Amino acid sequence: MILRAILPRLLAALMMVVLVSVLVFVMLRQLPMDPVGMSLPPGATEADRLALTREFGLDRPVAEQYLRWGAGLLRGEFGVSVNLRRAVGPLIASVVPATAELVAAGLLLGTVFGIGGGLVLFAVRRTPWEGVGDVLTSILVSVPEFVWAIGGILLFGVWAHALPFIGRVDPQNVVAARTGFMLLDTLLAGRPAAFADALAHLALPATALGITLAPLVTRILRSSLLGVIVEDFVQMARLRGLTERQVLTRHALRNAALPTLSLIGVQAGFMFGGTLLVEVIFGWPGLGNLMVTAVRSGDIPVIQAAALVYCLGVLLINLVVDLAYLRLNPRLRLR
Amino acid sequence: MTPNLTRRDMGRLLAGAGLASLLPGRVLAQTADTLSIAYPGDVPVWDPNLRTHVVGHSLFKCVFDQPLTYTPDLKLSPAIVTAWQASPDGKTLELTLRDDVSFHNGDRLTAEDFRYTFFERPHAEKLDTTGIWRRVSDIEVASPTRAIMRFSDAMPSAIPWLSFLASFVVPKKYMTSVGRDGFIARPVGSGPYRLASYQQNARIGLEAFDGYWDGAPAYKQVTFEILNDVSSRTAAIESRRVGLSSDISVREANRLGQDPQLKASVEPFTDIYVLQVGNTGGFTDSRVRLAAHHAIDKVAISRALFGGVAKPIAVPAAHGTPGYPEDFDFPFDAARAAALVKEAGFSAEKPVDVTFFTTNGTFPGDYDLSRVIVQMWGRIGIRARLETIEFVQYQERLRAGTLPEATMYRWGNMTGDPELYSGYLLNPKFPFAAWKSPDVSARLDPLFVETDPEKRFAGYREFNKWAVLQGYAIPLLQGVTTSVYRRTVGFVPYANGWIRPSAYKPG
Repeated sequence: MILRAILPRLLAALMMVVLVSVLVFVMLRQLPMDPVGMSLPPGATEADRLALTREFGLDRPVAEQYLRWGAGLLRGEFGVSVNLRRAVGPLIASVVPATAELVAAGLLLGTVFGIGGGLVLFAVRRTPWEGVGDVLTSILVSVPEFVWAIGGILLFGVWAHALPFIGRVDPQNVVAARTGFMLLDTLLAGRPAAFADALAHLALPATALGITLAPLVTRILRSSLLGVIVEDFVQMARLRGLTERQVLTRHALRNAALPTLSLIGVQAGFMFGGTLLVEVIFGWPGLGNLMVTAVRSGDIPVIQAAALVYCLGVLLINLVVDLAYLRLNPRLRLR
Repeated sequence: MTPNLTRRDMGRLLAGAGLASLLPGRVLAQTADTLSIAYPGDVPVWDPNLRTHVVGHSLFKCVFDQPLTYTPDLKLSPAIVTAWQASPDGKTLELTLRDDVSFHNGDRLTAEDFRYTFFERPHAEKLDTTGIWRRVSDIEVASPTRAIMRFSDAMPSAIPWLSFLASFVVPKKYMTSVGRDGFIARPVGSGPYRLASYQQNARIGLEAFDGYWDGAPAYKQVTFEILNDVSSRTAAIESRRVGLSSDISVREANRLGQDPQLKASVEPFTDIYVLQVGNTGGFTDSRVRLAAHHAIDKVAISRALFGGVAKPIAVPAAHGTPGYPEDFDFPFDAARAAALVKEAGFSAEKPVDVTFFTTNGTFPGDYDLSRVIVQMWGRIGIRARLETIEFVQYQERLRAGTLPEATMYRWGNMTGDPELYSGYLLNPKFPFAAWKSPDVSARLDPLFVETDPEKRFAGYREFNKWAVLQGYAIPLLQGVTTSVYRRTVGFVPYANGWIRPSAYKPG
């Protein structure tokens, strides 16, 4: 049953990947930029430039370039970086865990604080605190991630000296990368102090990412709860003698969770986009940092591969959200 | 006694542990012989011959050695090579190497490694050094400490190139045994530091090499924190999480320099800001080009944007370098500029229209500098339409020959050699030249093969003056290099902008 529900989604995701790859590939080649020119050494001649252009296949028609690239993808090859002269696949693979860890932490923080905020706002409905909450969430949602990032550095890093803001872990706590996920690696290495240090390094960038998600979740959850709380089944639960807390946790919250879940799925995609600036600001060695470096140097093979991985990340999260939806809403399984 | 923990207690403990881990409240450990540096970029890859990479050069220089080097005041200085002698025809260069240089793995550095680096590798692999050393027809290994470079054509710039980008000696035996990928994973050089740990785009951990021929560095452990964002580098030194931060804004450097625990170094260096001129539109008339140059008050711009530190330049070279004619000036003269524009048939009321490309943030102050120039031009009758472009667009326009009348650019040259300034920047035979006219090549070609250093330098000084008087380039200012550091660091500024922790001594 679940498989029958997933299969169409997987096919749609696959089509989306192909479409995005074509779009990114074609658009990058329409932009007025010269990746080979960017990587020429001093003293290079026009002949050198032409030779390098040929070497990277950039002199071929766009359709042929795409087909070659696509064939490479099927073999698990993403091409060679013009700037770094390294295979793009291993390069991307080495940085994805850092971004995935950051996005996961940001999602977790945003969701936890969002749900907490939603419950608080629901609890203080029709009181003066409700207005205060609305203003607060408006402020939180209207400030972009990078401003939170810089503000967090100034407040907690420079002024209070409370939190680190450079990289993923202090130099003395570096552990061998077994999974690429620092929290896991420090645990696997049996280094609790390094684990705590990795958590501390994650705090500011993850907060900067998650802080824009939290108020949205808060608002959606609050309004969903306000809608659900007047439904007949909730009244029935009250008549059965359940306390308000029991009514909320056992009945209202479960039903109000569906729109919130949808929102989290959509926002997760934006969160991937937010990693670009946040990673640069915190010196976080992830996909966003690599992408920004690649854009600055016009490194087309890296840009198109990174864009594809971002696309896959968003689709993966959407798939997980869809599955969660199926789990929470049995009616969808019947369709 | 058996602890009697409830689920609630466990929850509290976990929450407490989580919060405690989030609030470590400490600053990175910095002992007397350790140094953390916030740095604006990473190496492209740990093969120092593969790419010419300006930002990565200081990092490579920690791990690898160059045949020749520069002193802080830009004097060419022996390194692995102690003596050199070029033949009169410039086709042979005899080099004497030190006999006490070891690689980090214990192998002795010899002339075989030199031959491998500058002849065998460039001919066998696709490296940036392939193009640089294309004129090397052979390198004879006369003895372990004597190498003779032979050139198909004279290469007078070979000496500066031996201390320039990508010219780092690599160990032949080790590299051929582990292969390029193995080398990149575990690089071995003969520099003052060995690579201890590396996380791309994040952190480089270095340990002092006790067997270094020039003496072990005073800082035993050096960590480069790669922070691309300038505000993060500023915060890193302000919070004392690093001992030194390089390349921050002049304004922030001066502010932090007021801190009693910190010092700021704000110095002009060998990079130059220059307006690349295109022979198109309004600038096809030499009078308009010269007027555009006369109209720029470089001293005022330096004072307003760089605290007066950026030295105004009259030719495309830095002051104190061999190609800079110190007796030449191209003065700010608004009246003369207005007269030239009038002579060309324009005025403030009937201005000549030009397009002006600039990047915004690629080079420090690039956009502000361009805006000020547009204002100055407006007063004398040159109406510039300022367009912001990305650096990659600049490269594409340069390649396609579609740059407009003026384009803001900052040209880097850590050797100070004139060929690496105007020799490449203005020569239409190279892809970096915006102005294309045959008279330039006719004057530059002889200088590319002139083997007498004095004649060569004099020739470039004359060429630079001539090029500016033709209006083929509008040189503006020297760049400014900034570093802020703890007072105990013993920082040494280099006139070419190098960051060299091996030269610093804690104190």
